Amino acid sequence: MLALQTILDGLVLGGLYALAAVGFSLIFGVLGVVNLSHGAIVLIGAYFTWFAWHVTGMDPLLCIPPVMLVLFGLGYIYQRGLIQLAVDRSSLLASMLVTFGVALMLRNALVLAFSPDFKSISPGWAFSFLRLGPLTIDLVRISALAASLALLGALAYVLNRTSIGRVIRATAQQELAARLCGVNARHVYAVTFGVSAAFAGASGAILGIVLPFSPPDEANWTLNAFVVVVLGGVGSPSGALLGGLLLGLISTATSQLIGPAFPNVMMFLILVLMLMVRPAGLLGNAFAGTR
Amino acid sequence: MPRIDRRTALTLAGASVLAMPALRSARAQAQGSAKKLVFGGSIPLSGGAAETGLNVNNGYLTAVKYLNEQGGVDIAGTKYQLELRLFDDASDPSRATTLIQRLLDGNADFFLGSFGSNIVLPTAAITERAEKPMVQAGGGSDQIFNQGYQFVFGMFPRATRQFQSTVAFFKTLNPQPKTFSVIATNDAFSKTFAAGIVKDCQAAGYQLIENYLLPEQISDASSVLSSIRSKTPDMLLCAMHDQNSLLIARQMIATGTNVGLLFQGLGPQLASYREALGKHANGIFYSTYWDQRTTWKDPFFESPAKFAEYYGKNFTRPIAYHVAAGAACIITYVKAMQAARSIDPVKVRDALAATDLETLYGRVKFTKEGDGDAVAMGPSVGQVLKSAGEVVYPAGGKTAELLWPVPAWDKKS
Repeated sequence: MLALQTILDGLVLGGLYALAAVGFSLIFGVLGVVNLSHGAIVLIGAYFTWFAWHVTGMDPLLCIPPVMLVLFGLGYIYQRGLIQLAVDRSSLLASMLVTFGVALMLRNALVLAFSPDFKSISPGWAFSFLRLGPLTIDLVRISALAASLALLGALAYVLNRTSIGRVIRATAQQELAARLCGVNARHVYAVTFGVSAAFAGASGAILGIVLPFSPPDEANWTLNAFVVVVLGGVGSPSGALLGGLLLGLISTATSQLIGPAFPNVMMFLILVLMLMVRPAGLLGNAFAGTR
Repeated sequence: MPRIDRRTALTLAGASVLAMPALRSARAQAQGSAKKLVFGGSIPLSGGAAETGLNVNNGYLTAVKYLNEQGGVDIAGTKYQLELRLFDDASDPSRATTLIQRLLDGNADFFLGSFGSNIVLPTAAITERAEKPMVQAGGGSDQIFNQGYQFVFGMFPRATRQFQSTVAFFKTLNPQPKTFSVIATNDAFSKTFAAGIVKDCQAAGYQLIENYLLPEQISDASSVLSSIRSKTPDMLLCAMHDQNSLLIARQMIATGTNVGLLFQGLGPQLASYREALGKHANGIFYSTYWDQRTTWKDPFFESPAKFAEYYGKNFTRPIAYHVAAGAACIITYVKAMQAARSIDPVKVRDALAATDLETLYGRVKFTKEGDGDAVAMGPSVGQVLKSAGEVVYPAGGKTAELLWPVPAWDKKS
């Protein structure tokens, strides 16, 4: 029964990892940019949600749409105003350095705005749980998993079934061909970055309900996203979902079978192995980031 | 009405700009009649340790501001103004060591500690080599005090000795717990603190069920909590920093993981922790080194209450025991200099080693290895009651009646 509980815990944790990583995966896949400020954007989502919940008492799950909207706008501006400039004037590598610098600035801006003290979002239902026989299910984590799956499903639908999704995929696969067909690639890149930031913000809102957070955590979320992407593959919600779930399972299984001090060791061991054996990830495709 | 033409306006503006440095210099000269006593150091004002780092820093600032407002301090007939040269080490040990080396190169003679054993340990090695004293309220790991250092002094007993008074408290409980499990994180302080917990609890006759070691930063403890539910101890004792403590407590509540007694060394002292858990925080035990309601006599602030009042007038951040510990570092330094009748670092070091005085923080007395004396400077036991931190042990410092046995999470009110 402990094994079943471990699998359940791993899947729930994996859902969170997946949602936090999908935006990172999308940007890497479509723009070819390794966004090192991804974790900071996740945290901005968490802080916005905390602020709305703390000041207005609004349920944190209801904060997700407005947080996504705001971060979509900020992400769009960030890409058009900064990252695109760096790519135009120099190279993709320069854009990585820019995002690293922005991550440092955002981390310190969060310290200035919200203090370095940890914050925690605790709505009325934060401490509820279900017992199914010997299994204990933390309702917060289950609702976080449900929200993650719903959001990942919505993103998959947008990417696969809508015209903007087709445009994003087309631009990712062959930018020149897309341009020849009249696609405004710069706008598409900015929209993709906006979508990525929106999903990072949504994952921040959910993570804030599950975990206490403080500005230095941004580096962890960027790192987790990187591992998820390497594991699952770049550019698709299904890759992020698979990578996230696997990472969650690896983390809880290692903790249970080898020892609670070892999940990170196992996580990085698998990262190295994947980079050696299958660098495109389990569901890797031919998007820009993997070529 | 006389009109000022553009040329006159520009002349006046230029003159004011030129006069400003002169005015500033005159003011500095007036202030500079007292000699300067410089305390250097690094402190985490950003990064992972910033929450408590800010508290320690505010303690330093409060003591220095107050003493300077009193006209400075008198050491062997000479008046000194105190000056702090503290820099943000961003919770990064390598940055901290660079900053400390730079301060040494700039001829700083007296050092204050950063927060976190992982930072205090390498910085103390540098000041030790330079034979400059460091008084610190941020490092409790045994490694700091078993290197044979002569110039490093800590406001807490070393980690493995910090649990003795808490075990004495456990022995007073009725009904008496019999078993315990420990959860620690993999950092310098928490690991040694956990080792002390295990040693002291076993010596007192309690049976260890499990000793869990988690990574330094936790994002999930579900597998550990599953194990705790299957092998439930009477006491769960947590050795970790604030944010991790909150995560463990939250996950325990959200999975209905009940134990007879939950002790968390760091975390429940903070208002943000208690606010996050609401009524569920009630009954959780923790270590506390200071309470403003105690009646210690301080040579400068008179009492903890007056210190807290002065702090409240100057800072908006809630007071915590690390603030008092930080201020006590300055008080202890000044008293040692007065006792030594000198500001020679070696003589001050000798006076620090012989210190035995009452301060706003409590009695300050160091072991010969430099950590706080386990009896004189050991912690009291606190318990969260009605969402506030209260001292429940020892009887002499008690501020509220103990809640025992502690109800299950879903029965708390």
